Amino acid sequence: MNEEKNPVSAETETIDPAMFEPLDDSEKNAEFIAVESRTFMRDAWNSFKKNKLALVSLFFLIFMILMAIFVPIISPFTYDGQDMSIANQNPTWTHPFGTDKFGRDILVRVMYGARISLSVGFAAAGICMVIGIIYGGIAGYVGGRLDMIMMRVVDILYAVPNLLYTILIMLVFGSNMFSVLLGVCISSWIGMARLVRTQVMSLKEQEFSLAALVLGASKQRILFKHLIVNSIGPIIVSLTMMVPSAIFRESFLGFVGIGISAPMSSWGTLANEARNMIYTYPIQLVWPVGAICLTMLALNFLGDGLGEALDPKKR
Amino acid sequence: MSDKVILSVEHLKTYFDVTPGMFSKKKIVKAVDDVSFDVYEGETFGLVGESGCGKSSLGRTLVKIYEPVEGKITFDGSDISKLKGKELAGFRKEMQMIFQDPYASLDPRMTVGEIVKEPMDIHNLYATEEEKRDKVVELIKTVGLKPDHIRRYPHEFSGGQRQRIGIARTLALNPKFIVCDEPISALDVSIQAQIINLLEKIQRERGISYLFIAHDLSMVKHISDRIGVMYMGHMVECGSSDEVYRNPHHPYTKALLSAIPIPDPDVAKKRTRIMLQGEIPSPINPPVCCPFCTRCQYATDRCRKEMPQMKQVENSQVACFLYE
Repeated sequence: MNEEKNPVSAETETIDPAMFEPLDDSEKNAEFIAVESRTFMRDAWNSFKKNKLALVSLFFLIFMILMAIFVPIISPFTYDGQDMSIANQNPTWTHPFGTDKFGRDILVRVMYGARISLSVGFAAAGICMVIGIIYGGIAGYVGGRLDMIMMRVVDILYAVPNLLYTILIMLVFGSNMFSVLLGVCISSWIGMARLVRTQVMSLKEQEFSLAALVLGASKQRILFKHLIVNSIGPIIVSLTMMVPSAIFRESFLGFVGIGISAPMSSWGTLANEARNMIYTYPIQLVWPVGAICLTMLALNFLGDGLGEALDPKKR
Repeated sequence: MSDKVILSVEHLKTYFDVTPGMFSKKKIVKAVDDVSFDVYEGETFGLVGESGCGKSSLGRTLVKIYEPVEGKITFDGSDISKLKGKELAGFRKEMQMIFQDPYASLDPRMTVGEIVKEPMDIHNLYATEEEKRDKVVELIKTVGLKPDHIRRYPHEFSGGQRQRIGIARTLALNPKFIVCDEPISALDVSIQAQIINLLEKIQRERGISYLFIAHDLSMVKHISDRIGVMYMGHMVECGSSDEVYRNPHHPYTKALLSAIPIPDPDVAKKRTRIMLQGEIPSPINPPVCCPFCTRCQYATDRCRKEMPQMKQVENSQVACFLYE
């Protein structure tokens, strides 16, 4: 090798090896991880916080839920207390949303409707989630012939119009909360089942699920402790999208007159009552419709925000 | 390494049905076709071959991820190919697997401690949670990680660290046999050496046998006592590591070995590389003939009509008509 063209090797000779001291093993610390340990949910919350629209929606929904719980308790008026002397009032300080044709306080009625609409929405979404996860999880994990049969059953259920089921259920069980829930749930779980099935099908081929199999984990353990837990992101997103659609379905049933029956109120039945007064007192329609619109909008923004926060690829 | 055979595979066949619809003609992929070999206690059996030749399918069949269509797997004296239920769960403790991709083989929603503890939970190995925790810490230390890592999640670790977590999980059951399915192919070269040294250390300390699947031929030579060469689901040559490398018989083994990169360019220039001509046949519904006949320069009419069987040639076993 040419010495003159390589000044580095000339210089290295002047450095005395005694100047170097080997590092003690305890000082190496090669396995140290500097980053603070964060769980998946902490990470998701941090990125969710950055989405202002979703954050505002979340606070709006919390506010709505609190109002729905407390307004009918605190307010001196009841949802069915009639007082014909103050019928069809415009908004005043005593009745911030005004009164309806029977002199009932609209604020209390809207908040009472919020109780029904929101609980139908969340309960329906919860029931659909449980059924969808179990059904879709089993179909996706077992696969083969069972999957084929289970999915064809779902296809058949999906092919019949929802309204038909709902009207039949209302005819048999009457117009109450139970039949509204049943009517909303009977076909909404299908979307969740399909989503969970595809998630489970792709995750079960991943090595961590094979590893659990080789370790001797039972089928239930692999499905519920590994596969479902890992598809929780899309499940939550689809859940937040399912709540508004359930609320909307319930409102629709109320509006066409086959939902919750009077004097109880949901947003749909309130809108239906107000529709009759649309030429004389249009303000009465604004409140239930506004409540439906804002809640749906908030839930959709929340779903979008969660979708972004829970999807590691979009962060 | 002893003379006791711990795993004996006889005429193992793993087929996959890839028929696209209900009414199409049946399409079968013969991933593993009539493979036989023995693994001795405490040794490392290397399995090499190109991508898609059935190495991983063979490994996965051994740990019962896939069901064999035919053939017998004898592990520690008992036939495991038809095991079901409780007996299968018992066998799982004895034979474990290390996976290829350290980024996919750990559940991202579990902490390292939970991952290493899971096998103990499944098999109820220890009576109390404290014992389990102590054991987890001990295993974590064995693979060179720190005890305070057990509360972290897999995504916080590097590839090599994750692979070591995978090894710790495997060791939690104290297996006698580990199938290593390309455990180093997803890692950097410097980290590869770390993992290989760890695997060798564990083997020395615990006397575990390995089936080491890889396509890095020099690494396989380094770690293996004996080697099997696979091609299109068949085993074409099998012998001791030195014998196969120094004196290859099968034309495919020769071509494979001539492709090992040599770090010295002067030596590399002098070497003649065997360039294979011809097409790899489709693995769907293959004809009965030597699987290598389409690319073999010595192929005769007999090779295209008959399937060669494994025969003893010098110190190796070779499936080729050239040596008859």
